[in-house]
Amino acid sequence: MRGLLLRKLPSALLVLFAASVLVFGVLRLVPGDPAAVLAGPDAGPEVLAAVRARLGLDDPLPVQYLDWIGGLLTGDLGPSYVIGGETADLITDGLGATTELTLGALLFAVLIGGTLGILGATARRPWTRGAVRSLTTAALAVPPYVSGVLLVLLFAVLLGVLPPGGRVPLLTAPDLGVQYLLLPALCLALPSAAVLGRYLEDSLRRALAEDHVRTATAAGIAPRRILWRHALPHALPPVVTLLGIQTGHLLGGAVLVEAIFAWPGLGQLAEQALVRRDYPVVQDLLLLLVAVFVLVQLLSDLVHARLDPRIRWE
Amino acid sequence: MTELHPSTPTAPSRRTTLRAAAGGTLLLGLGLTGCRSAVAEAEAPATGAAGPKRGGTLTVAVNTDFTPALLFAQSGQSLQHRLIYNTLTRYDDRLEPRPELATSWEYAPDGRALTLKLRTGVVFHDGRPFTADDVVFAVKNLQNPVRAAQLRSTAAAVTGFEKRGDHELTLRLAHPVNNLFDLFEFMIITDRNSVEDAVAGKRLNGTGPFRLASWRPGTGLSLTRNEKYWQPDRPHLDGVELRVIPQADALVSSLRTGQSQLSYAVPGRNLSTVTAVPELSVTQYDTGGGASYLGVNTSVDPLGDKTVRQALAWAVDRERVLSQVLGGYGLASATPWPKSSPAFTEAGRTHYRHDPGKARELLRSAGHTRLDLPLLHVNLPGETALAEAVQYDLKQIGVHVTLEPTDAATAQKRLISQTMPALWAMGHSFSQVQPSTLAVSAYPFNAAKNTSRFRSETYSRTVREAWTSRATGAEANALRQRVTDTLLDEAFIIDLVIRGSVQVASKKLHGATLNKFSYLNLDDAYLAA
Repeated sequence: MRGLLLRKLPSALLVLFAASVLVFGVLRLVPGDPAAVLAGPDAGPEVLAAVRARLGLDDPLPVQYLDWIGGLLTGDLGPSYVIGGETADLITDGLGATTELTLGALLFAVLIGGTLGILGATARRPWTRGAVRSLTTAALAVPPYVSGVLLVLLFAVLLGVLPPGGRVPLLTAPDLGVQYLLLPALCLALPSAAVLGRYLEDSLRRALAEDHVRTATAAGIAPRRILWRHALPHALPPVVTLLGIQTGHLLGGAVLVEAIFAWPGLGQLAEQALVRRDYPVVQDLLLLLVAVFVLVQLLSDLVHARLDPRIRWE
Repeated sequence: MTELHPSTPTAPSRRTTLRAAAGGTLLLGLGLTGCRSAVAEAEAPATGAAGPKRGGTLTVAVNTDFTPALLFAQSGQSLQHRLIYNTLTRYDDRLEPRPELATSWEYAPDGRALTLKLRTGVVFHDGRPFTADDVVFAVKNLQNPVRAAQLRSTAAAVTGFEKRGDHELTLRLAHPVNNLFDLFEFMIITDRNSVEDAVAGKRLNGTGPFRLASWRPGTGLSLTRNEKYWQPDRPHLDGVELRVIPQADALVSSLRTGQSQLSYAVPGRNLSTVTAVPELSVTQYDTGGGASYLGVNTSVDPLGDKTVRQALAWAVDRERVLSQVLGGYGLASATPWPKSSPAFTEAGRTHYRHDPGKARELLRSAGHTRLDLPLLHVNLPGETALAEAVQYDLKQIGVHVTLEPTDAATAQKRLISQTMPALWAMGHSFSQVQPSTLAVSAYPFNAAKNTSRFRSETYSRTVREAWTSRATGAEANALRQRVTDTLLDEAFIIDLVIRGSVQVASKKLHGATLNKFSYLNLDDAYLAA
């Protein structure tokens, strides 16, 4: 195992190095720079030059690159050029907010999708099944920027029971934090809930049609017990796999939902940093994403090797 | 595959479903009623009898976050400036300076010196007393190009400082300038010992009515009452929250639900939504919001010919731009001046009306019947709508415009580096104060070097004279008129609409005002019950 790790590590480091060069280079190729943003539309060239010098943007590119990498290696991500504050703090705060939103949405997706899936698979009346199907179709078809506005209109404007946007961290004030989380999490969860619901419904139908369920029914076992103990455990494995994929979708979808609900997550941060050419923040965010990907890939290789001894000796 | 038999009794019964629904509602209800309500927290006003009241927290919705690096420039969101800091003076509605940290002032007879008497008993949030050294530092700080302060040229005209004690200071000027009080309205007095912490967003130490409690990037600023504020019994409010809500619809929802009680960031097209809300009031100011203009690169053939530029100026339907892009809030104008400016004249405002016939005629007289020109604009909804409106109008006179949408950072870089295409549509500020400030502080209008690559001895001389003249009354008006006439005649910057500021506020809020540079003043503000 250690041998495999030693074999895989150089290529992982090479990928990280190549990604860092690419991220750094591509950002410099994009027109506009943070100095222009800071100087503003009324500034003259001498102000632009002074701001560029203060940010170190007039240093040769290799020097700028080495400064950045040196900072990363020593754990000092440095200050943000435009947004303000320390880059590490910005990314940590954004990551916390996005994780909170994604986990909340995941919980909603499981609850709503699970309920709809079970109801759709077990309903006796055709209209109930039709209603479930209509609900999942609507949840799947309505994009978050529409459902978000509708949710705000209903719960914040008309009923006035939930705030329309913003965030109070759950760890700071759980009672307020939950209320701020409900609408964006629900908005983000709806499409995933629909997908999970449909998948579970289909999977559960097949499980309920299995011989052992028929036998259990004939043996007089209570229907509820059959559902929870005999059918659902068989129906769940493919749904759990799908849940993993949906988690990735939720993370991606969070960018849009964060904008609708003024949720200060990573998506908002990335958008702001990119628009304002905040080089350190964009660079660190992108490299973090690459590092996570490389780490997951490395772990996946190790797990495969653990499960399949042939891989270890390849 | 065998379909599940409809009679298989595994479905939850109606009773179970109802129980589950009731249980869920009960849990949600208990959860929401047993805890603090986020809605009630946001709406909590001050309590007490009628009239100004102590207490309460005001939430202001902003669409961009505080940018500490832009603390000394007007390019960022500047509402918090007058909450945390003070300025030396502030203008009244007639552009007359009123005391703030400077209590009185006197010009030398030759206009080359100004003596300021400073307020005593003022302390910074950390307890350090405010003195003349802080004013010296504030001026020198703005002279530093790194601060990117738009009024740097005016600050740079101050060449000497003479202190007499801690609270009297004479500023020596290289030459007379007539916009020194623009500088005093613009220049926040920061703690000289922690200025680098301030531009890093770590510590904001001022003499203003509120102290910084916290700043969370992307979320906003929390400010608490400064108990040591120099104005007795002020401020009335216990705190102010500046909440960042970038998306326009979300910002409007925040106001409609009472989560926020004040905003100056509602886009024109969304204002019709809030005017229908009985709890909100909409007030329009003609200053502070800047102006939208069509820039012309005079080095691109045939735009070096001012007849062609004037043809473009006649072609644009400014009233349509105003109604379609700004929802009718603002002023269609061929000059950069809002109505409150001493340079404003109705004749100047309507100098170029929408007259496609005249525009075509001018174009023909310059030897053109068709032109193909690119137009750069920032890729934001309002800016795109403006560019499209201009594109349509110019097409009517045979000028076919290709839009070049770009992001703000690129647009700013091209603006500063004089690499704009033939045309561009953007915004400028600084027309709301002394007219000379626009000509010496806004790069598009700069006489020595500007984006349009326009050079004219007459323009340079006129601007210089308007800036350094000590004339008042009719003579000053004549000078301002000369600047306006040159701008209109040369048409290298074609002004379209004055944007103004639109305040959307809860009717519970009283006493909130803006200064000329959009600094929010809440000294006298309170939330009624």
